[in-house]
Amino acid sequence: MADYIKFVDVTKCDGCRACMVACKNWNDLPAQPEEFTGSIQSHNTLTANTWNVITYDEQVTANGNFEWLFRHKSCHHCGEAFCEKACPETAISHTKFGSVVVDADKCVGCGYCVNNCQFGVIQLATYVDDKGKEYRKAQKCDLCTGRLEEGLRPACVTSCHTNCLVYDEKEKVLAEAEKRLAKIKERFPNANIYNPPGIKGTTTVYLLADKPTVYGLPEDPKVALSQIVWKDYAQPLGKMMLGATTMAVIGAAISTAINKGKGEHEGGQDHE
Amino acid sequence: MSNEKTPKTIKRFNKGFIVAHWVNAIAFFTLYISALPMYTEFFDWLYVVFGGPAGARLVHRIAAVAFMLPLFIMIIFDFKGFKNWMKNIFSWKKHDLMFFPQFLREFFGLKAKVPKQDFFNAGEKINSWLMIVTTLMLISSGLVMWFPAFFPSAVLWWAYPIHNIGLGLAVAVAVGHIYMSLVTARPSMRGITKGDVTEEYAKDHHGRWYDELQEEKQQRKQA
Repeated sequence: MADYIKFVDVTKCDGCRACMVACKNWNDLPAQPEEFTGSIQSHNTLTANTWNVITYDEQVTANGNFEWLFRHKSCHHCGEAFCEKACPETAISHTKFGSVVVDADKCVGCGYCVNNCQFGVIQLATYVDDKGKEYRKAQKCDLCTGRLEEGLRPACVTSCHTNCLVYDEKEKVLAEAEKRLAKIKERFPNANIYNPPGIKGTTTVYLLADKPTVYGLPEDPKVALSQIVWKDYAQPLGKMMLGATTMAVIGAAISTAINKGKGEHEGGQDHE
Repeated sequence: MSNEKTPKTIKRFNKGFIVAHWVNAIAFFTLYISALPMYTEFFDWLYVVFGGPAGARLVHRIAAVAFMLPLFIMIIFDFKGFKNWMKNIFSWKKHDLMFFPQFLREFFGLKAKVPKQDFFNAGEKINSWLMIVTTLMLISSGLVMWFPAFFPSAVLWWAYPIHNIGLGLAVAVAVGHIYMSLVTARPSMRGITKGDVTEEYAKDHHGRWYDELQEEKQQRKQA
C-alpha cells in the first residue's frame, strides 16, 4: 500500500468552514459556542471537542491591500510525535495510515501530552460517567482513521469544495505541491511546504502562503533533547534500576544470612 | 535488679526531627504509591484503589504538599538538630572515606573494622545528600508540572524527565535506607521513633559522637 497523506493547500481555502462542520458531524462532537472577540474567526483555537478550526490571520499585502490568510488548523500527525513520547500510559500510537491516535481505554487524562504538543493541538475533554463522576480523556483529530480503514477519505477532505484539502498518495501529492508552490511564489514570495524534517515529516502536510511563524507554527520543530533523555534513557533505565536495587537488597540479605550462619559475627549487632 | 538489665540510653533526636522524618517518609510513600500505576502498567490496578486516575492525582497532590513540609518543621521545631545535621553532612574527613570499603565487607556479612563515626556516619551522610538532591529534583519539577501555565515550554518539557529520573534515584535511596535501618542497624530505629538510643549502639556505630558526649560529661563534672 502506498503511503497516503492529507494535504492542505491554504492558498485554495476560502474560509467556508465546511471542514469544521463535517468534522463535528462525523465525529459526533458537541458544538462549542464562543463569545465574539472582534474577529471573524469562529473559534479561538482547537479544543478537545473542536478538532479543526479555520484560522483567519489578517495581513496587509505589499501594495497596502488587506487580505486574510486562512489555515485549516488541525493535528499534524507528526512522524515523531511529542504527545506519543510524553504519554506514560502508551495510550497514544501511530496507525498504519501514519495517523496518531489516542486509545481512550488506556488514557487516564494526566495531560502530559497536552503540555508536550508543540502545536497546541491535543487537549483534555471532561466527561461524566453513569455515577456522575467526572473523568478526563485526551482528544484530538485522528485523521478519521475509522474512515480510512473502510477505504474512505477523512470527513473534512470530502467536504472541501475548493480542493484545498486533499487525501491521496504521498508521492503524487508532494509532486503536485511543488508545482503549485512554483506557481504561487509570485503572489506569495514566502510560500513554503510545511513538512518539518526535524520530526520526520507529518501525515498532514501544508502548503503555507507565508512563513510558519506567521501562522503561529514553529519554524523548524525538532524532537526535543528532553524527550530523548526521558523516553529513550530515563524510563528504561529507571525501570532497570528499580530491579537492580531490589536484587542488591535480596542478594545482601541472602549473603548476610549465609555468613551469619557460619558464626563469624560476634555480638549479633552489625555496624550499618 | 531490673535496673541493671535496662540498657542505658542516650538522647539522639528531638521531636521536631522525628516528626519531620516521618512526615517525609509517609508523604514519599504516598506519592510513590499514587504515581506507580502511571509509571508502569503492571500497577494499573492501583487506580481502582484510588477510585480512578483523578483520585490518584488528588492524593498525589495532597501528599506533594506534605512532602514540602519537613524542612520547615525541622527549622521551626528543632533548629539545633537541623544545624547539627547540616554541619555533619558538610564535614568529610578520613574516617568518613574509610567507612565505605569496610561497610561493603560488612554489608555482605564479612568481617570488617569500621572506623569511629560522627553523629551521622558516612553512609548516612551520603544518604542525606542523595535525599536532598532527589527531593529538590522532585519538588521543583513537580511544581512546574502542577502549574504549567507559569513556565516556558522548554522548562516544562524538562520537568517531566527530571521528575522521572528523580523518582528512580529517590526510590533506590529509600530502599537502601530502609533496608539498612531494618536489617543491619535495627537499634537505630529507636532513635528515630522514641528519640534515644542505647549507649552500646552509640558507642558501636557513632564512636566519635559518643566520645564527644563523654568528653562533655567529663568537663561538666570537672566544672
